[in-house]
Amino acid sequence: MSFWRHALRISARDLRIEGRTFEAIGITLPFGLVALFLAPLALPADADLLADVGPGMFWIVTVLFGMFVTFRQSVAETTAQREAIRLLGVDPAARFTGRVAASTLLLLGFEALLAPATVVLYAPGPIPAWGWLVPIAILAAAGLALLGTLVVDVTAGLRARMSLAPLLVAPLAAPLLVPAARAVDALRRGDGIVGPALVMTASVLALAIVGVLTAHPLQESST
Amino acid sequence: MNLRTILTAIALAALGYGFWLAAGTPPDAIQGEYVRIIHVHVPASWVAFLAFGGTLVGSLGWLATKRFGFDRFAAASAELGVLFTALSLLTGMIWGQVTWGVAWDWGDPRMASTALMFFVYLGYLALRHATDHPVDRARRSSILGAIAFVQVPLVYFSVNLYRSLHQRQTLTPGGWKIEDASTITALLTNVAAFSLVYLAFVVWRTRQLATAAQRAGAAEAHAGSAITAPTLGDHRD
Repeated sequence: MSFWRHALRISARDLRIEGRTFEAIGITLPFGLVALFLAPLALPADADLLADVGPGMFWIVTVLFGMFVTFRQSVAETTAQREAIRLLGVDPAARFTGRVAASTLLLLGFEALLAPATVVLYAPGPIPAWGWLVPIAILAAAGLALLGTLVVDVTAGLRARMSLAPLLVAPLAAPLLVPAARAVDALRRGDGIVGPALVMTASVLALAIVGVLTAHPLQESST
Repeated sequence: MNLRTILTAIALAALGYGFWLAAGTPPDAIQGEYVRIIHVHVPASWVAFLAFGGTLVGSLGWLATKRFGFDRFAAASAELGVLFTALSLLTGMIWGQVTWGVAWDWGDPRMASTALMFFVYLGYLALRHATDHPVDRARRSSILGAIAFVQVPLVYFSVNLYRSLHQRQTLTPGGWKIEDASTITALLTNVAAFSLVYLAFVVWRTRQLATAAQRAGAAEAHAGSAITAPTLGDHRD
């Protein structure tokens, strides 16, 4: 079976698991919505202030809660399952690619459902040329999926993985979070987003290269 | 006296000499005596970069050779890097408070990226701590150690890439932004002294980790020797 077919099968398996458990959309998303709802309660009741912090809150919730969408793989996939996939001869890079693709799709869904809630709760006002947010959202989802999957592999099989993985992902997500927030600010001012989009593209490419190159040694660690 | 003791003694003597030179430098026209923080802040930042470079070399060395000496060097270097980054952040905040009027400025990319670098390497140390098996620990942490180094050029060039309260690099291959010769001499001496301190402590800590690994190996072998394979003659009803 080819690399891409393996990746597609792994991706389909991950999405099928999500379809059965409904964990990312049914549990993590409501949790993120609660965070979006709680933040204004802790801030002064100032409509202008909330409109300013709204886009930033959207990205913070996307990163902090979106990472749990990628971590669900480590709970769903046991050591025995990883060993079985290895013995079946699945290329570790194909396995990595498939899991990233599934997580990217789930994160895009997560962002698509979180965005209207942010608009309602924070009323950030009209954003000119808002269509440019779509490629930014795709880059953010792909980058976070790559980073989360990489960290899941680095921490696979460890007792403290569920507390360790967020510690590793959160600071490394800055090259995605900062340009994404800057891009929204730039669009609100009517400026271009080429700079932030380039930083995000470079981060996504770098993470993809590292993920594919380290997939094999990391598989040895986790089985 | 062994090499480590001699190296430590030289490093501490160099540090004392550097601080003595720094005490003799003139105060700044605007910052007054507070300008002397530069003699700790700049060397600490430099050694943090050097230490994380050491972690990268150790990580790549382990991945290429699978020799545990590289892994222990990477770990020792990361510990020192975290320590010196904390010192750099702390002295930077004190300096910021007296010169800018704020200890922390969220609009400053150098401060924010340095803090992120600190947390990334704290995560590296946490990963090492959470992994019991030596080979497993070395493999996982060497991959993270290689990825984490991306933060170092980001921190170094952040003042060039974004507008910032923080001044651009003080010491560069193209020259330095200080006019007083005694301040330059004291600063360069302190950079060399801090580098020697790093070298002395990284050698000491790498050796300590090697000894701990040997003891753990011996203890494991001893524990294993208490269990022997059963033989037919031992079986009693």
